[in-house]
Amino acid sequence: MSVPLISVERVTMRFGGLTAVKDVSVDVVPGSITAVIGPNGAGKTTLFNAITGVYEPTEGAVKVSGRDPRRQLSGAVIATSVAIGLATGLGLALLVRVETVWQAAVLDLYEFQKAFPWGTALKAFFATLFGGGFLGTWLPIVLGLALGTIGRLVIWSRTRRTPDVVASAGVARTFQNIRLFPELSLVENVVVGMDRRLTSGMLDGLLRLPHGVRERQASRAAALGILEFVGLADKAETAAGNLPYGHQRRLEIARALASKPDVILLDEPAAGMNPTETVDLMRLIKAIRDKGTTVVLIEHHMRVVMGISDRIAVLQYGEKIAEGTPEEIKNDPRCIEAYLGKEELG
Amino acid sequence: MSSAAPQTPRLLSRGQLAVLGGLALVPLLDYLLPSVQLSAQMRTVVVFAILGLGLNIVVGWTGLLHLGIAAFMAIGAYAYGILTCEVYPFQVGFWPGILLAGAVGAIAGLLLGAPTLRLRGDYLAIVTLGFGEIVQDGIKNLELITKGTEGINPLPAPWVPGPVASAEPNAWQQLFEPITSETPVRWFFIYLAILAVVVYLARNLEFSRLGRQLFAVREDELAARCMAIEPDKAKLKAFAMGAALAAVAGALFASGLSSTGEPANYDFQVSILALCIVIVGGIGSITGVLVGAIVMVGLSNVVLPNLTQALQRSGIGSTGSVFASPDNYKYLIFGLALVLMMRYRPDGIVHSRKAVRK
Repeated sequence: MSVPLISVERVTMRFGGLTAVKDVSVDVVPGSITAVIGPNGAGKTTLFNAITGVYEPTEGAVKVSGRDPRRQLSGAVIATSVAIGLATGLGLALLVRVETVWQAAVLDLYEFQKAFPWGTALKAFFATLFGGGFLGTWLPIVLGLALGTIGRLVIWSRTRRTPDVVASAGVARTFQNIRLFPELSLVENVVVGMDRRLTSGMLDGLLRLPHGVRERQASRAAALGILEFVGLADKAETAAGNLPYGHQRRLEIARALASKPDVILLDEPAAGMNPTETVDLMRLIKAIRDKGTTVVLIEHHMRVVMGISDRIAVLQYGEKIAEGTPEEIKNDPRCIEAYLGKEELG
Repeated sequence: MSSAAPQTPRLLSRGQLAVLGGLALVPLLDYLLPSVQLSAQMRTVVVFAILGLGLNIVVGWTGLLHLGIAAFMAIGAYAYGILTCEVYPFQVGFWPGILLAGAVGAIAGLLLGAPTLRLRGDYLAIVTLGFGEIVQDGIKNLELITKGTEGINPLPAPWVPGPVASAEPNAWQQLFEPITSETPVRWFFIYLAILAVVVYLARNLEFSRLGRQLFAVREDELAARCMAIEPDKAKLKAFAMGAALAAVAGALFASGLSSTGEPANYDFQVSILALCIVIVGGIGSITGVLVGAIVMVGLSNVVLPNLTQALQRSGIGSTGSVFASPDNYKYLIFGLALVLMMRYRPDGIVHSRKAVRK
């Protein structure tokens, strides 16, 4: 078997005294549709949040294509931290003695309407800035250096596995309680989803440089294509917030697909859909898989789950109680018990 | 299939062109009402329009409540003052002064934003509010550098290459003269041109990748994050751009007065005025901000003072009665306008049309 696209390795999520997910391991095979099912409150969405970086697992790890999607401690991280620290230190030292420095480097040297001795001024500037002795110069520099470097490193360590890092690794998702950008048009919503593959920078946009203009056109055209794929192209320019519920779910899928992810996590995509919409959705999910994107979904509609899944994992009270093909799950006594309750004898 | 949607947005929208064009007609009124010197007074409107556009990037597009924009205006004004005034050695002149003031503002924005932009909603508002007070007090007390409450002066007016003035210039020649307080029309047009450039940049931002990231962060930060957008970076850029525009506005304000004035010129009231411009005009809409600036600042700095003067000239207010001068009703009118706006038109005079970001 190839390397699992996502492997959840003994993940436990605790919130205070509550253990929402307990020692769960799931492997997602590339090119498959994997369903996570279970009664309400079983920890399915929590598991999704742990996978996508919304939560950091209390224990265990989540790997994407065999790697932990996490910002690595590189030379660049340390260099930026030290640079920020140095800048903070120098800034602090300057702030402490700003009037003395100003007096020595500008006021003492400048005579009205006479040429200003720039070289002397520069020398005076540094001489005064670094001439404050321990309290005036070195303490602020050391303090600032420590504060800036440590502060930057703390922020780095806290944002090592945020959702944007996981998303950049090729994991896209939708949300149980739809989270679109309601005031943006459908096209814009999808283009936001594409963001990780766009390259135009601030100046490209501000000055309308050719690269930015081209990329804008290309991304909007691609977005229209994706909208067409999910069947929403005719509403491309309306506000996402004005769409009916079922369409909003489709748009969320379109937005997630736009990043060309390796795997897409769908959190209850069929919730609130009528039977016709549900059938369309099943077709769509299969089409996504056939295009080469691996799908993981949480779902309560058993028809959907049994109809399209290659593998199913069953959660109950935060624990995985079964995993297998739809056939196996259908006949697993523990799953039947979890959903229907135990048969009373007598 | 609405593929008829324009692929690339127009350089300026019709509304923006209309407002800028309307402002360009203001100098004509100088000939109708020579005693008022409207184009000199309208400079302030242009300055506040730029300030409002800067604030709109932060408040309207990124959804961060910023209560200290006046601090960046002050930073810009004093940067311009220090860099151009002849009592200091730098004397870089008008255009470099404006650009450098903007750069100083952006750096100040980065310095304030980098450690604080992770704060949520109200907490960020408190930080910006406090920053506004700190900057004002700092300027007041760094007397060696900022001249304290005196203000740095004199500051240069805009400079543009052009033919030397004739002794008795007609209206047309006046446009091409060196700028002094005697050539308000030309001065106004230069400010208006700068405003037009700022509007153009803001509009480009609105349709750029960064702009889209800002909207996404405003609408749903977590969803934006899950689309591989880093909200902290996007917010920091927005904050720095807002600060840069506010600083440019401050520099233009100082140049217009030929002095930075006292630090109290950049107090909390100004931050609130800028916020009102954005909200009354139409939050998130460039045209709205322009309209907001014209309505709010036009009322407080142009209409009411002139009305007061006219009343005094005609003898009604000549007794010096506080009640007879409309200028004193400024905040009453502002307050009433805000209450009425919130009741009847909460999206502002110009709606930022939902989802028509094509």
